[in-house]
Amino acid sequence: MRFPVQILVIIILGFFLELFLPWWSIAIAAFAGGLLVNTRSNFFAGFFAIGILWVGKALISDLSTSSDLADRVARIFMLHNKAVLLFVIFLLSGVVGGFAAMSGGALRKDAMKP
Amino acid sequence: MKLARFFASLAMTTLLIYVMDQGWTIGNTSIPPLGKFLDPFHGFWQNLEPTGYQGKKQLVIPGLQSPVTVVYDSLLVPHIFARNSEDLYLAQGYITALHRLWQMEFQTHAAAGRVSEIVSSDAVMEYDRRQRRLGMVYGAQQALKPMEEHPAIIQYTKGVNHFIQSLNYESLPFEYKLLNYRPEAWTNLKCALLLKNMAQTLNMGDKDIEMTNALHLFGKQMVELLYPDDEKPGDPIVYKPGKWNFQPVTLKNVPLAVPDELITIKKAPPANPTTGSNNWAVAGSKTYTGHPMLAGDPHLQLTLPSIWYAMQLNAPGINAMGATLPGVPSIIIGYNDSIAWSVTNAQRDVVDWYKITFQDKTRNKYLLDGEWVNTRKVVEEIKVRGNSAFYDTVIYTHWGPVTYDLNFHGENELNGYAFRWISHEPSEEINAFHRLNRAKNHAEFSEALNYFSLPAQNFVFASVSGDIAMRVQGKFPVRRKEEGKFVLDGTRRSQGWQAFIPNAHNIAEKNPARGFVSSANQYPADSTYPYYITATHYEAYRNRRINDVLRSSDNITYRDMMKLQMDNYNLKAAESLPVFLSYLDTTHLDLLQKQAYRVLRSWDYFNHPHSAGATYYEAWWDNLMPLLWDEMQDESYSLARPTTYNTIKLLKERPDLSFFDIQQTPEKETVGDVIRKAFILGVEDIEDWKTTHTTLPVWAEYKDSYIGHLLPPLKALAIPVKTGGNHDIVNAHSQTHGPSWRMVVSLEPSGIKAWVTYPGGQSGNPGSAHYADFLPSWVKGDYFPMLFLHAPDENIQKVFYTTQLNPQSE
Repeated sequence: MRFPVQILVIIILGFFLELFLPWWSIAIAAFAGGLLVNTRSNFFAGFFAIGILWVGKALISDLSTSSDLADRVARIFMLHNKAVLLFVIFLLSGVVGGFAAMSGGALRKDAMKP
Repeated sequence: MKLARFFASLAMTTLLIYVMDQGWTIGNTSIPPLGKFLDPFHGFWQNLEPTGYQGKKQLVIPGLQSPVTVVYDSLLVPHIFARNSEDLYLAQGYITALHRLWQMEFQTHAAAGRVSEIVSSDAVMEYDRRQRRLGMVYGAQQALKPMEEHPAIIQYTKGVNHFIQSLNYESLPFEYKLLNYRPEAWTNLKCALLLKNMAQTLNMGDKDIEMTNALHLFGKQMVELLYPDDEKPGDPIVYKPGKWNFQPVTLKNVPLAVPDELITIKKAPPANPTTGSNNWAVAGSKTYTGHPMLAGDPHLQLTLPSIWYAMQLNAPGINAMGATLPGVPSIIIGYNDSIAWSVTNAQRDVVDWYKITFQDKTRNKYLLDGEWVNTRKVVEEIKVRGNSAFYDTVIYTHWGPVTYDLNFHGENELNGYAFRWISHEPSEEINAFHRLNRAKNHAEFSEALNYFSLPAQNFVFASVSGDIAMRVQGKFPVRRKEEGKFVLDGTRRSQGWQAFIPNAHNIAEKNPARGFVSSANQYPADSTYPYYITATHYEAYRNRRINDVLRSSDNITYRDMMKLQMDNYNLKAAESLPVFLSYLDTTHLDLLQKQAYRVLRSWDYFNHPHSAGATYYEAWWDNLMPLLWDEMQDESYSLARPTTYNTIKLLKERPDLSFFDIQQTPEKETVGDVIRKAFILGVEDIEDWKTTHTTLPVWAEYKDSYIGHLLPPLKALAIPVKTGGNHDIVNAHSQTHGPSWRMVVSLEPSGIKAWVTYPGGQSGNPGSAHYADFLPSWVKGDYFPMLFLHAPDENIQKVFYTTQLNPQSE
């Protein structure tokens, strides 16, 4: 049961940090999530949490606009359409989140050693 | 073990952040910092405006004296209401930057030869060096001297800078994020650079080097046959023979040394000569309302963000509306409560090339009137993105900068070609527009134009009081016959410009008997005008069509004016196709060619979007020109093709001309052979086209126009448009060039009415619903009635939202 909690904690923390800090604050959120709510799969928790946060937020922006800029950006990056772009964003942000959460988790396990 | 795992994953996280926090260049591809750019909280997603997005309602702008109200209508046109002119221009600068900052800054970089700072490639470096060597910044500095104290320019600059200072990464315009750079501070010089940028587009055309080569290769008689000064198709802009009531300025008649040489430098390709603007005004005697009407459609290479930004400026003493040029204060084309005006480009030679003789390869001295005179060397530092700067030494002479020398496409160590351009002179366009916006009648309009030097324009005018007028305004050198057509001898001061035509002698007319005035880039005056006139080319078709329609029309309504702007009649085809067809031998055509022949025979000469005849004609023509003038294409030197009009004239009158032989083939071709060959190639082109397209080859599909992004490599941001027309047609929309602004104004004493459309939209943000929202109506020829207000709360139901700009409290 801790895994979904960990994901939720990272998403919420990431959301609030991003309001005040640049993009790399997602790493802080995931790191904290790994440190505070340690699970066996910290990497995947960080990966999915940050991936969902970014793709979710991007989707909200895209759904509330009538502009086709997301598709055009996808084409600038030589991607087929914005769905592919969103998938790439999911992977890129997820990897950062994953490794950051893994570091947080490792630090906790390390600190708990007698 | 655990510790190692911690450090390994931490290192990995840090590395990922490092890699994604900065831009990378792989090969020729630049990648923005992916983390920053793709971040939905700060990156490009923040540039996607929500549907119905409204800007801020309250803003504090330091430097304002009083509050300024900005009313946006449903087209996102801002109507600025200020209590004094200083606040008005400051607000204009701020609001323009708010919607168009990237574009205005990029264009100043392009004008100044600084594109390498943003994107670097060999082609961009070549472009930047050329801009430096044409003295673009030097010209802007010269121009600024009499203008830099003008409150309009000072306040505008302040307004732009207040906006720039308010930006953070999240609010940066899209292109800055994509290209990973930030705006720098705006300066007065940048306003001047934007005017130079427009002058370069419109007034830098010349073919002196090409004509010199033609003279050397073909001889004087042939040059006069191929490139006549005045081809005399139709009416000049102003026709009043014998009524030029002034004593012209005359020059000591120094004989011009006509050069006899072949110049082997590689010249930059000139601006597209087929661009075409139109304007006209009709007197009340010919209109349905009984009051004058004015129409203007300036043509340019069509780009996004849109070239023009519509705006209304209101303060005590001014209530003007129309097209502004982002980066320049005031309304450039438009109307106020009393008058309306528009422009087309005035074709006139204001460019000369002087051949320089250096003493030795140090180029420290050059020959002038028998003495070795010092040159002035300016080292241009061209900063290159991701690389060390490139330094280029530009030599300045009595004539101006030496563009071509041993370091840049030159011929040898001892000669160079110096560039003399009217835009290197001081000028006061800011003052001209300031006055023009406030002019109440023809006298004040004329006085305002006296401050306008360049780019030379044909200004059409109409007033509520019932006057219509035309004025060809610019600063023009007084020329001796033939002067300026060929490269000039730079070793003698007497070869230079000795005097300028006084403003009072410029070509102008008011209320002519025919009841209308018009211009379409044609020859400007009848043959009794006492000054010598020459240019690279003059328009030959649109002017005749416009005048024919206006001459035969009465009770003209604003809809008739719009219809004429959208007119697709191809006069060129009407004058040439019957001749072309007469050369075809229908018994020797294959099935596809016969089909093409039938389509062409039944064509009505209108380049309508759904016309198939237009496609076959244009494909034929596009193959014919290069075949006819294959002599003009040589790798080692530049030559110019004769104009379209003269080509058709020569085809009809001189079918035996030696040029009509195709050089590459052993046979001796006649005009008929070439016309038939071009026909076969044209039909082949269309058949090839069919293999890659699913639609029929109707004209709009075959022409395949598009509005490209200002930065051409951003192809994904271009928008295709399907329209009729073409160059040499009143609706002169070719694949890339066309009407950048269409305006019709009815000057009714009860209140001016205006209708406008342009290919784009008010926002410069590609993530805004207003980026290109005018495009569909522009394609169809539908116009928007303009909301012209006298108070911010005059027409509340038409207001989209209002922004209050407040001064900083003490």
